[in-house]
Amino acid sequence: MTMTTRTIRRRRTTVAWLVAGALAGGVAVPLVDATAAFGPSGDVPASAVEGTHLPPLLTVVGESVELEYDVHCLPAGDMDRPCRAEGAVYLRPGDRGAFREIRLARAPDGRLTATVPREISGSGTGFSYYAEVEDAGTGATTTLPSAGAAAPQRSYSLLRPVEVSLGAHQFGSTRTADARVVEARWGNGARDVGLEEGRDLTPIGGSSFQVAREGAVHLLDEANRRVLRWRPDATAPTSVPLPIRGTLADLAVADDGSLTVLETTADPGEAPLLRVFGAGGELVGSTEIAERAAQVRLGPEGIPFVLQHPSAQWMRVADDDRHLLPPRAQQATGRPGRPVADGGEVIVLRRGDEVLVARVDGRSVERAWRVTSETPLAEVQLAEPVGDRLVLVVRTYTDAHDEFLVLVLDERGLVDRFSVQPFDWAETAPLSRFRLAAGSLYQLGSTPAGLFVDRFDLEVGR
Amino acid sequence: MTGRFRFLAAFAAAACLSAAGTAYAYHTSFVADSCNYAAPTPTSSITRDGSTTVALRARWEGYQWAGGCWNDNDRDDSPGDPVETPGTGGEGPDCSGFTFKVWRESEKTSDAGFYQWGLFRFVHGPYTAQSFKNGAGAPNTTYSKSALIRMDALASDGHVGLIYAKNPDGSDQIIEAKGEAYGTNIWTRTYRGSSSYGGARRFGWSS
Repeated sequence: MTMTTRTIRRRRTTVAWLVAGALAGGVAVPLVDATAAFGPSGDVPASAVEGTHLPPLLTVVGESVELEYDVHCLPAGDMDRPCRAEGAVYLRPGDRGAFREIRLARAPDGRLTATVPREISGSGTGFSYYAEVEDAGTGATTTLPSAGAAAPQRSYSLLRPVEVSLGAHQFGSTRTADARVVEARWGNGARDVGLEEGRDLTPIGGSSFQVAREGAVHLLDEANRRVLRWRPDATAPTSVPLPIRGTLADLAVADDGSLTVLETTADPGEAPLLRVFGAGGELVGSTEIAERAAQVRLGPEGIPFVLQHPSAQWMRVADDDRHLLPPRAQQATGRPGRPVADGGEVIVLRRGDEVLVARVDGRSVERAWRVTSETPLAEVQLAEPVGDRLVLVVRTYTDAHDEFLVLVLDERGLVDRFSVQPFDWAETAPLSRFRLAAGSLYQLGSTPAGLFVDRFDLEVGR
Repeated sequence: MTGRFRFLAAFAAAACLSAAGTAYAYHTSFVADSCNYAAPTPTSSITRDGSTTVALRARWEGYQWAGGCWNDNDRDDSPGDPVETPGTGGEGPDCSGFTFKVWRESEKTSDAGFYQWGLFRFVHGPYTAQSFKNGAGAPNTTYSKSALIRMDALASDGHVGLIYAKNPDGSDQIIEAKGEAYGTNIWTRTYRGSSSYGGARRFGWSS
């Protein structure tokens, strides 16, 4: 990652000088022409290595824990070659003390693996770890997670998670919403929501949303580069224009109305940006995201956190004074769970056809659930604590069908359960289809006719 | 290259382009200038690790509808091509051309052999996203989505992407040629659970 970041920075500087030169030439030169003039001329990046790893963020006491790394080498030539990767993982019980080095072994499928020793995986406080791998052919190295010992990956051990068995899912018995709070057609008008267009492009529009406690709905209409804001009971939205890129992006809205937009796609040669706007759309600040950005949420005090890969960590993007952090500082704040309003965090791990979810306060697990299903489970769209309960929304699927399961969990198990139709005709930011506000669940849905937000009232405290 | 030198180089280039008139509209000459039609190299096997490397070398490059040729300089050398216009001569694959090349397939749908195509070889292959979804062609088959692993595909009627890694929350990191405004890269996606998408696999992985 470090090598890649350096490469990006060097190219950005080059492009900045080139553009400045072109403009100073006193001629109106389209950017594409300026770029073409410096086309594919052997600007080949140095060899690099990249790793991916599915971290066991949560384990059940007594389980054997295996760490696996896929390592990919990026040769500079035109042909691929075997990746001669090697490396070590550094582990310790809990989150304090010295790390112990264990060499990674090569499995028959090429992965690098290590078994976590029982004395470490059996620790009541879980364990923390990071890995360093190297392409023996080129000497390129990478660290996962990216900050290494400064922000290692954290795995929590669950002693007795509350067991919830869902059985086989019956498709077709979905709950109807209690209210449709927003409805808009596709288009470019004042009351419409835009669709990105293009060959090979599935419909994309209305990429993220948020609902305020009093019921106001904010929708990121990224194709029209604006946020649409519906007050409760208002028939028409107000519009806040935003200078954003206009591709799939995520949105978070603070109590003061400020808007945080996470771009997941960057302009050529740049990294994705997180931009913060005032309630009126004025740009407050922006920063590059360190890694691949998946979603943005606001933690306590309205601080933005971004889930980033390949580290698979939630990274803080602003300090306590709300100054936005540069990429390297973000990486040093990585943690396994999403910070929530009460100061703790929620950690989610889907493995096979079960979901482990835990509320963690500091170093200890407050409460945890293990949800198992006979029908495959896909992504967890929402895991939100509400008082002593937790609302979990996860997609269940077969090769022909899919629905979202809504589960309300407490210390004894399942309090409420229903399923909703996916209504995902248009693509959104990947994990932005549901929001919870004031005891109600909101779903961002779409059909070929348009977009809507539905409300489902839940049996949870407000 | 110092900043001052870059500035002067750009100044000169801009002036030359201006003097040359408006021959450049939006088209680039990337394909004409850089790509070739060399025969592919048959190989005896295909590995997921090797195909991942092929896929990663397209990362940060452009997207071109019906395209199939790119370099490895981590930028789109022909940004902003009109999406309605095929054959603009720009850099990058489209989603199905990308899958074809990463899966080392033959231009003959009856041939399940392995063919290594160079980066600069302009080739799209005979498959659309929908045909990958349907498992069309001798090298391809449909496959249960819950069993898909790295370098298997998730395909809809209009798009196809390759699985790069799984995320803890149950979503996937997908490497794909997404569109002109996106280029080719890795993103978190939720294709696996969506009934719009089916699972597809190439036959014959040796590891």
